[in-house]
Amino acid sequence: MAVHKRSYRSYAGKLTPTWSRFSIITRYALKNLFSSRLLTAYFVCCFFYPLGCAVVLYLNHNLSLLATLNIRQVFAVDADFFLSFLGVQSGFAFVLTAIVGPGLVSPDLANNALPLYLCRPFSRAEYVVGKMAILAGLLSLITWVPGLILFAIESSLAGGGWMWANLGLAWGIFIGSAIEVLVFSLLSLAISAWIKRKLAAGAALLGVFFFGAGLAQAINAVLDTKNGYLVDIGNLLTTVEGSLFGHGKPVGISPESAWIALIAACVFCVALLERKVRAYEVVAG
Amino acid sequence: MTERVSGNMNVAGPQTRIVFEEVSKFYGEVLGVNRVNLSIPPGITSLVGPNGSGKTTLMNLMTGLVRPSRGRISVLGMAPDDPERLFRVVGYCTQFDSFPRGLTGYDFIYSYLRLFGYPHAQSSEMAVRAIDRVSLADAAGRKIAGYSKGMRQRIKLAQAICHNPTVLVLDEPLNGLDPLIRAETIALFRTLAAEGLHLIISSHVLHEVDVISDQVVLLSNGYVVAEGKIQGVRDEIQEHPMQVLIRCDKPGELASQVFHEDYVVEARIHNDRQGVLVKTRDADRFYLLLNRIAQNGIEIESVAPADDDVLSVYEYLIGTEESTK
Repeated sequence: MAVHKRSYRSYAGKLTPTWSRFSIITRYALKNLFSSRLLTAYFVCCFFYPLGCAVVLYLNHNLSLLATLNIRQVFAVDADFFLSFLGVQSGFAFVLTAIVGPGLVSPDLANNALPLYLCRPFSRAEYVVGKMAILAGLLSLITWVPGLILFAIESSLAGGGWMWANLGLAWGIFIGSAIEVLVFSLLSLAISAWIKRKLAAGAALLGVFFFGAGLAQAINAVLDTKNGYLVDIGNLLTTVEGSLFGHGKPVGISPESAWIALIAACVFCVALLERKVRAYEVVAG
Repeated sequence: MTERVSGNMNVAGPQTRIVFEEVSKFYGEVLGVNRVNLSIPPGITSLVGPNGSGKTTLMNLMTGLVRPSRGRISVLGMAPDDPERLFRVVGYCTQFDSFPRGLTGYDFIYSYLRLFGYPHAQSSEMAVRAIDRVSLADAAGRKIAGYSKGMRQRIKLAQAICHNPTVLVLDEPLNGLDPLIRAETIALFRTLAAEGLHLIISSHVLHEVDVISDQVVLLSNGYVVAEGKIQGVRDEIQEHPMQVLIRCDKPGELASQVFHEDYVVEARIHNDRQGVLVKTRDADRFYLLLNRIAQNGIEIESVAPADDDVLSVYEYLIGTEESTK
């Protein structure tokens, strides 16, 4: 029998938890993303509006300032305030998605890099979660995180009574933003997986939203229906967020239909990812 | 030719071998590999075949990156569909030059070790050791984007060996290496094989694996056409004529004497006119004939098989046209 003398000893110590390994991909990707000054500058800009809102909230409760202006309160901090806050931040989030999203998966597929990831104790699902966590993290930081901070600021300034009376707003901020973050992330990942050129993938993402809105109008006009709005993702998100704040003015479709359409869109994106994110692309010949 | 030649690769149990049992892989209607039966022991095993012959598919199957359409695969007793266990013992180096942007050689190895779940200190130590093993220590801090082709091949090799695997699957690992680095890399392969590792190497450059392989698996159009040691494979091909070069003082006379025998397919004077190339279907009878001829006045200086390398075997098995692609 052959005698083999190994010049090394395998590691037998403790390993990091399996569930946390996706974060390696996220960490390196974020490091790479923020090496771009343009992206860093844009990301900083995304916090100007929340900062402005925080200042306004403070001034709104600054008794001496209000006394100087001889008014009791400048404006009411209610569902409309947070809904418009989310509306503005959604715009920033969409642009951020269009910048970051297309480059997440397409370079790995174009360069056949997936086998490198997947020849580890690392699954396709972990890869997708790792990539998605990049966008989900960045978008969260500019949507529900500052939203909840504003809610906390208002709660501290207006008192516990306001907080308990408006607890549903916090829920709306979180769920409304979370569904938006999920849809943006999945959509951009799916597009990035299917369109290998970054520029084309970015254009396709814009197309899904703007072409979708146009298509919705066309379907409604031709078929004399309101169901065309089911393909308008922007409208679906607005409808869902509106319903969460109890202040929505749904355009054409019910919140329930909008929820179902968004869930269907997410499932479709997951199916697209499942089909494309594989170690080897099968080209039928 | 698609007939499989049994080699001498079936000797020990499945716990120490990579075993394919009736494995087929179809990509839709496209054949990847068909009805593959292999039992690969430790040592250097080369998968040889032209582009599209199924080498990479076979490697992807044994690493679980693609699933077989039919059949069963076992890598040291493990099923390849359990990445958590499998990739503790398997290292894979793809043929593609694909690296995450902006990473240094050290970061590249270190980050992949973190994917294995090794903590920071251990990952760092293992990364340094792997980089050192492929002679890239001086370039470890530089970005991979600035590496030469040979350096990129070596850093890919480092990521495959960094977690001390027992099975190394290397897809075209010698591509782009200059002679010096190629020699160093081959020496590394031999060291790893001597440590008891399974090294599975694919190549379409036949002569480079000829000299380093313990076993070869010859593939054509998705079929294993032969397997085993080069010499053993050659011996098994009874139906193909063997080519022998006979150096002698009277090549013309020798050619005329052997040509009338029915087991001699071809006899022609060598280009340097100092020998005869004979193709025979029965080597034993031909050697007996040569003995008789040698006793009848023709001075024979040497007799040597002229086609005992991989290229010749390969040409016999799948045809010259394909082997030269």
